[in-house]
Amino acid sequence: MTFLRRQLPLLITFVTGILFAVQYYVPHPLSEQMLTSVSKWLQIIGGFALVLGVTSLFHIHAVKIRRRESGWGYSVVLYAAIVATMAAGFGYSPAAGQWINGKETIKGAMTAFGWVYAYMMVPLQGTMFAILAFFIASAAYRSFRARSREAAVLLIAAVIVMLGRVPLGEHLIPISGDITQWILNVLNASVRRAILIGISLGAVALSLKIIFGVERAYLGGGKE
Amino acid sequence: MTVAERMLSIDRRIIFLMIGLCTLIPLLYPVGLAIKVSPEVRAVYDYMESLPEGSVFLLSLDFDPASKPELYPQAVALLRHAFKKNLRVIAMTLWLPGTGMADEVVSRVARESEKTAGRDYAFLGWSPGGSSVIINMGQDLYKAFPTDYNNQPTKDLEVLRGVQSLRDVNYVVSLAAGTTGIETWYVFGKDKYKFELGGGCTGVIAPGLYPLLRSGQINGLIGGLRGAAEYEVLIGRKDIAVAGMDAQSATHFAIILLAILCNVFYFSIRTSRKAVGQN
Amino acid sequence: MSFEMMLGAWVATGLTLFILTFLYQDNPLFKLAEHLYVGVSVGYAIVKTYDTVVIRLIYEPMVKQGEWSLLIPLAIGALMLTRYVPAAAWMSRIAFAFVVGVGSGLAIPRVISSYILKQIEDTVRPLLTLAADGGATFTYDLLDPASNLNAVVLLVGVVSVLFYFFFSVEHTGPGKAVARTGIIFLMIAFGAAFGYTVMARMSLLIGRLTDLIEYAQPQYGWATWCLLAITIATLLVFRARRQGTEPPQ
Repeated sequence: MTFLRRQLPLLITFVTGILFAVQYYVPHPLSEQMLTSVSKWLQIIGGFALVLGVTSLFHIHAVKIRRRESGWGYSVVLYAAIVATMAAGFGYSPAAGQWINGKETIKGAMTAFGWVYAYMMVPLQGTMFAILAFFIASAAYRSFRARSREAAVLLIAAVIVMLGRVPLGEHLIPISGDITQWILNVLNASVRRAILIGISLGAVALSLKIIFGVERAYLGGGKE
Repeated sequence: MTVAERMLSIDRRIIFLMIGLCTLIPLLYPVGLAIKVSPEVRAVYDYMESLPEGSVFLLSLDFDPASKPELYPQAVALLRHAFKKNLRVIAMTLWLPGTGMADEVVSRVARESEKTAGRDYAFLGWSPGGSSVIINMGQDLYKAFPTDYNNQPTKDLEVLRGVQSLRDVNYVVSLAAGTTGIETWYVFGKDKYKFELGGGCTGVIAPGLYPLLRSGQINGLIGGLRGAAEYEVLIGRKDIAVAGMDAQSATHFAIILLAILCNVFYFSIRTSRKAVGQN
Repeated sequence: MSFEMMLGAWVATGLTLFILTFLYQDNPLFKLAEHLYVGVSVGYAIVKTYDTVVIRLIYEPMVKQGEWSLLIPLAIGALMLTRYVPAAAWMSRIAFAFVVGVGSGLAIPRVISSYILKQIEDTVRPLLTLAADGGATFTYDLLDPASNLNAVVLLVGVVSVLFYFFFSVEHTGPGKAVARTGIIFLMIAFGAAFGYTVMARMSLLIGRLTDLIEYAQPQYGWATWCLLAITIATLLVFRARRQGTEPPQ
C-alpha cells in the first residue's frame, strides 16, 4: 500500500518528466501525437483545478455564515451574487429563444449574463485596481526618500522615466525621452536579462529536482 | 512639530484629492500635446504594414477587466489596423475573466470595419491551460478549438482555410497583463512553431519584456496606455488612449512633485536634527 | 437608450463610486461592492468553466465524436478532487504527480532554449561592426540599442548583476567593485520599473474616470451626479451614526 501512496506518485513524476523533456528533441510523428494528446488532457485537468480553488472559497464563507461571525451578512451577499450570476449564465433567454449557456451575446444581442459581466464585473474589477493609483501617490510622498546613494539613483531614474514617458515631459525636456529609451533598452534590459537568466536556471534546477524526486512538496494531501 | 514634520504627516486623503483632480481636469479640458512614437511600437506597426492582404493575424487578448484601460485601446487599434489591411483575424484569450470583453471588442471593431464573422475573422474564445492551449494550437489548431466561440465548427470557417496550426500563422500579437502572456507564447509557441511574435502589455510588466525585445524574440512591444496612444497616432485614428495622455502627464508631474517635496522635507528634518545634536 | 443600458450605466456607476469610497474610509458600501465583486467573479468563472471544460472539451468530443480516450484525463481530474475526502486524499497525489511531471518535462528544454541560451546569445554580441569597405568600426550611438558601445554596457550590466546575486563567493576586492556596479544597474532598473508602475496605475484610474465622465451625460440620466450625491449622503449618515455610538469624551 505504501508503494501506491509514496513510490507510485514519484515514479509517475519521473517517467512523465523524462518522457516530455526528451519529446522536445524527437520529431517522430508518434512523439508529436503524444504531445498533442497529453496537452489536451492537461487542459481538461486544468479545468478541474479551477474547481479546487472555488470550493475552498465556498468553504471559508460557509463557515463564516454558520458561526455568525462579524460581517456574515456580506458572506450572504457573496453567495447571492454567485447564485444570481450562475442563474443568469445557465438560464433561458426568452428574447433569443434559447438557453444562454454562458454566452454574453446571442446573435449580437446582450444576454442577462452579458449584462452582469459588462455592468458589474468589469466596473468592479476595474475600480478595485484603479484605486491603487491613489495609494502609489501616497506611498511616493511618505516613503520615497533618498536615504542612501543607491536610493537616490533609484529616485533619479524613476523621475527621468516618468518625465520621458509623457508628452508634457518630452515637450519640456526633450532629452528625457532619449535618456528614457536608453535606460529601458540598455540598462534595464541588461538587469532584467540577468534576472531572467538567474530565475530560469533556478526553475530548471527545481524542475530537475522534482523529476528526480528530491523535491516533494508539490504532492501534499493525505498521510504518507 | 516643525513645518516639515507636519507636512510629512498630512492626511493622505489630501494627496488622494490631488491625484483625483490631476486626472479629472485634463480629461475634461484636454490640451492635446504631440506624442512621439517609440521604435518598439513602430516595429509592430511596420510589421503589420508589411503583411500582404489575406495574411493570418492572431490576436491573443490575455488580460482581464482590471487591465482594460491599458490593453483595450491597444486591442482596438490593432484590430482596426488589421481589418484595414484586410488580414484574416483570429482572436482568442488565455484569461478566463477576459472572455466577455474580448468577444465584445472583436465584434464591435469588426462591425465598425464591416467585416463578417467566419469569413474575415473568428473569435475562438477561451480554453483552460495557458501553455497547454498554445502547444495544442501549435500541433493542431482544430484539436485545440474544435468550435469557435459561437459554436461554429472551426473546420468549416472560411477565414481558417489553409491554417492547420500555429506554423501557418503569419503574425501573433499577445496583449498581456501578466503570466500566461507574451513569455508563454514565446516559450511554448514561437520557440518550436516559428511564427513571428509581437507584444502589447501593461506598464507594470513592460520593463521585464525588454530582454526579449532586444534579443529579437519579440519583434515589437506596445507598452501601456502610452503605447496604445502611439499606435493610434500611427494608424491615424486618435481615440481614448490619446485622450488620456494629458491626464497621464498631469499625474506624472504630480507624483514627481510629491517625491521631490518628500525629500525636501526629509532632508530639512535630518539637517535640523543634526544641528540639534551638535548643540 | 434601452432600459438595460440605462440600468447598466447606473449600476456600473454606483458600484464604481462605492469602491472609491474606500479612499475616504472603510465603510459598508465598500464592503458590499467588494463582496459583490468576489461573488460575480466566481459565478462567472463557474459558468465559463462548466461550458468550456465540461461541455466543449469533455462531453461533446467524447459523446458526439467518440473520443473515449478523454476518459483518462477525466479520471485524473476526478482523482484531483479526492483531496477533499480525507480517507482517499492520497489518490490526489497521483493526479498532481502527473500534472507536475508533465509540466516540468515540457518546461525544461523550452526554458533552456528561450530564456538561457537565446538570452546569452544576444548578450555576447560582437564588439566591432563590419563597415561597408570591409574594415571593422566601433559604433557608439547611445540611442541605437544595437550599437557596439551599448553592447559593452549591456555585457557589463548582465555580468555585474549576475555576479551580485552569486552569494556563494564573498564580494571582496575586485568582486566588490563588480557587485557595486551591479547594484547601481539594479537601482536604475528598479527606478525605471517604479516609473512604469506609476504610469500603469495612473492609466487604470484614467480609464475608470473616463467611464464616470461618460455616464455623467444627460443620455444616461446624469447617473454620476445623482449617485455621487447619494453616496456622499450615505457616508455622512454612517459618520453621524458612528459618532452617535461613540462614548462622550
